[in-house]
Amino acid sequence: MEERKYGVYICQGCGIGEAVKFEGLEKAARKNGKIPHIKSHPILCSPEGLEFLKGDMAAEGINCAVICACSPRVKYEEFDLPGALIERVNIRELVAWTHEPMAEETQLLAEDYVVMGCAKIKKADLPEGVPVEIERAILVIGGGVTGLTAALEAANLGQQVVLVEKEAELGGLGAGLFQQTPRKYPYQELEVPVVFSKIKEVLTNPKIKVLTKSEVVMIDGQPGLYDVTIKTDGKEDIYKIGAVILAAGAKPYDATKLGHLGYGKSDDVVTNWELEKIAADGKILRPSNGKPAEKVVFIQCAGSVDPDHLPYCSAFCCGTSLKQAKYVRTMNPDSLAYIIYKNMRTLGQNELFYKHAQNDPGILLTKGDVTGVEVADDGSLAVIAENTLLGEKIKLEADLVVLATGLVPATLDNPVLNLNYRQGPGLPDLELFQGFADSNFICFQYETRRTGIYAAGAVRQPMDMATAMEDAAGAALKAYQCLEHTAKGIAVHPRAWDQTFPDPFMQRCTACKRCTEECPFGAIEEDEKGTPFYKINRCRRCGTCMGACPERIVSFKDFSVDIVGSMVKAMDVPEEGTRIVAFVCENDAYPAIDAAALNRLQLHPAVRFIPVRCLGSFNLVWIADALSRGIDGILIMGCKYGDDYQCHFAKGSELANYRMGKLQETLDRLALEAERAQFMEVAISDFDKIPKMIEDFVVRVEEIGPNPYKEF
Amino acid sequence: MADETVIKSDLAFVKRLQECGGESLKKCYQCATCSVVCNISPDDKPYPRKEMLMAQWGLKDQIVRDPDIWACHYCGDCTAYCPRGANPGEVLGAMRQATIEHYSFPSQLARMVSQPKFLPVLLALPVLVILFVMKVVGTLGNIPAGTVKYSNMVPLLAIDAIFMAAAGFAVFVFVNGVRRYWKDLNADVSPWKVKLSDKSVVSATIEVLKEFIVHKRFKECVTNYARATSHLLLVLGFIALAITTAWSAYYEWASKFGLIPHKESPFSITEPIKWVALVGTVLLLYGIYLIYQQRQAKANGAGFGGYFDWLLIWVIVAVGVTGALSWILRLANLASLAYPMYFIHLVSVFFLFFYAPYTKMAHLVYRTTALVFAKMQGRE
Repeated sequence: MEERKYGVYICQGCGIGEAVKFEGLEKAARKNGKIPHIKSHPILCSPEGLEFLKGDMAAEGINCAVICACSPRVKYEEFDLPGALIERVNIRELVAWTHEPMAEETQLLAEDYVVMGCAKIKKADLPEGVPVEIERAILVIGGGVTGLTAALEAANLGQQVVLVEKEAELGGLGAGLFQQTPRKYPYQELEVPVVFSKIKEVLTNPKIKVLTKSEVVMIDGQPGLYDVTIKTDGKEDIYKIGAVILAAGAKPYDATKLGHLGYGKSDDVVTNWELEKIAADGKILRPSNGKPAEKVVFIQCAGSVDPDHLPYCSAFCCGTSLKQAKYVRTMNPDSLAYIIYKNMRTLGQNELFYKHAQNDPGILLTKGDVTGVEVADDGSLAVIAENTLLGEKIKLEADLVVLATGLVPATLDNPVLNLNYRQGPGLPDLELFQGFADSNFICFQYETRRTGIYAAGAVRQPMDMATAMEDAAGAALKAYQCLEHTAKGIAVHPRAWDQTFPDPFMQRCTACKRCTEECPFGAIEEDEKGTPFYKINRCRRCGTCMGACPERIVSFKDFSVDIVGSMVKAMDVPEEGTRIVAFVCENDAYPAIDAAALNRLQLHPAVRFIPVRCLGSFNLVWIADALSRGIDGILIMGCKYGDDYQCHFAKGSELANYRMGKLQETLDRLALEAERAQFMEVAISDFDKIPKMIEDFVVRVEEIGPNPYKEF
Repeated sequence: MADETVIKSDLAFVKRLQECGGESLKKCYQCATCSVVCNISPDDKPYPRKEMLMAQWGLKDQIVRDPDIWACHYCGDCTAYCPRGANPGEVLGAMRQATIEHYSFPSQLARMVSQPKFLPVLLALPVLVILFVMKVVGTLGNIPAGTVKYSNMVPLLAIDAIFMAAAGFAVFVFVNGVRRYWKDLNADVSPWKVKLSDKSVVSATIEVLKEFIVHKRFKECVTNYARATSHLLLVLGFIALAITTAWSAYYEWASKFGLIPHKESPFSITEPIKWVALVGTVLLLYGIYLIYQQRQAKANGAGFGGYFDWLLIWVIVAVGVTGALSWILRLANLASLAYPMYFIHLVSVFFLFFYAPYTKMAHLVYRTTALVFAKMQGRE
């Protein structure tokens, strides 16, 4: 930034003017914040207020403005001033709405925030995205209904697509269907499988290059700049790709493991996939003797929702069994189809199809637990079930038994992507999801732990074809977002507005590789000498590397160890009175505090909140800074971690907690109590519990006593 | 392994139930709201949920042997509360009809009674019988002269013969049916067999009859509560008319054998027998009128009912109305109207008696049997 000129603008609206005195804030900004130009306005975000703000900045030549008003999570369009460095100080939610108006503690709190804002802006710089020349082609791995849909959606967005399918024919599992469950109102007519029309569309689309009998051997590079090696029929080629959609799908669970349900004991015990093939002949005939089947029993959850086999529900099987029961009844009107289920789950709009199937006089349903399938000497079968709706143990005579088996993902035992990443060839931590390429992010479901790679369809989660097609569209849009943002040189997701990037001061790097190991997204590689370097397009700007580095060499233009350290050191610590600093992650914890403020819940005035990008960016030196300042307690508040993690950057919160564990020793050596620093898991829904959580911590710190380093 | 119930589903039976008024039976998804809402259903293995499932699965053997279908008095609360509109009240009604068809021999005749297209054929029987008798006694074709006296058209002895035969036939079919029903009830088929006590038949019957007289179960219904009154009136009307008939028969035969001074119908209004007859007629007509009206009003809540239900209603209406009109027309001495009216009255009474084992009237016998059995088992 060229010559910097600072200004502080204080809004008096939304109750701020009634809670704190402007004169006190002005004095603090001038004296301690060291910024002489301070103005105020009754409603800064109004058209008149903004006119005043822009006018004043233009007149005075101010290009670095500290705006003390509402939370930075609101009014971002109003305070978006291109070319100017803006620092938002929250004295509405964090002060006016959560503390006693015009009390002395409240005034001191607001003054602290203003001074901290001034300290930050002095050290920050204006971020600038660096545009990059990228490949705009999208790679789709998998030619089933999901991959075909993703390819068509990506082509419709104007992108070139390369579709890779390992079999000789396109279509995947969908091409093996006889008919499909209805996809349109009134959800009663069985339909021609949609995959066939999709295949035609893909083969005739000029933007899609189809490679069958092909597999991905290696994906090297970073979003926008991937070099993908694809082997077709033994011959390898390299394709230049910008983003990848993983639609490798799933395969049926191995039914030979279901001997307890009769599979293998008789030819007349088949899986739901095998029944589709039988139905394709137009008549349901018993495999053992070719005679028409009169009594067919469908056993749902065959090896699913079962701790000994697949612990999860595969989503599509109940709808499929209803469809297949309809096959049985349509092809032989005198036949009976029994369905024994644990739960009847019909996805999407299929409730209407369920009612339609129920209405058929020959489709008989009951809940039940199948305890065995017996084969009599004459080849006839009997299914024994208990806990049924009929009251007691029942024995159903059948001449064909269909096991509704579930799906296992392609990524269960195969990395599929074959990424040339130091952290490994596949997606990490998939055991959490039984091998599915899934995440805990219900809001961003297509994102994986590798930026630029988007998962869709049955490889991501068990689902039916209608859901898979929607999934494919979502993933295609994500891939498009990735290309657009990477080309502009800004972060892809979730910090989609962020123009900063990590800028390491390599002279001080000791190549300890802590950043390389801890980056949740594998954005850091190491060169031949073992020195780490960034593949910057993979980076999500969470700052976990910044928190990990013991030499503190990583920084972003508007967020660094020094910036936050300066804010801590700018806090006023009086000789008498408790002072606590809380580092709050911007994803769940800060919004929770905003929510508490919206509900006018009162917070303890001893605590000053400093927002950080992710708790992964938390550097231990800030604790040393705080304690040496004489601050009595340190809180670290962020998203839940663990198997059911909510951390928006997957690992950040867990790493912060882990680093806190290392603190014990250091604090003991300083003769300080480890309890002065506490980690708190906060979900946005916990907003109503925050006042008590903070209150309890303040009480505990006060019990321990004031920080002995206060006088220094 | 032997403790499993072997399931035998009868697809044709499912379809029969759907034809008899249970066309929505497949909509049930076993939420059990019906069983919870039913006031007369016991807490242990209540109805009608399990019956709905048995219906869906076509378990004919278990259905016809289930006393619970007769314990149900079609309150209509279950139908009113069913979230799917599966109409359990009507389904149980269909089951009762199917049970009557199963036990009242021959079932082809039962089938004919349940179908509107056979009504002319069924009516033809009493019409032809009475016409034949009139031909034999020579009254066919000419209206008898003089004051209207119905025995001029059809002699009392002929009446006795025709109706004893009709009643006798009905009793024969009932006895046959109940014997088979009782045997089946005692067989161990249903998974819901409940046996809590061992009362004797006699004490169980007495208890059941006591409940009937006060219409105890009817009073526990909510949706069809009004029927507790209307049905009771109808029943009392029938009882009064039965007493009248017996009394009249006593007069006829006792005077024939010289036990009492000669007494013959028609009876004057000063006679006590006539008071009982009139009271009975009024109760019957008022009762059936209320029932007719309630069915119309409650059609949305409890269900309108099918041909099987309405056939009995119309027959009773016919019996009552033609009986009352016959009396009035006799008093008015309008011979050209009175005698035809009496003819229709005879046809309708014959219909009521002769086809009793096949129409809804059969509930009189089967429900009593089922409830006696249930009481013996200690099942409320």
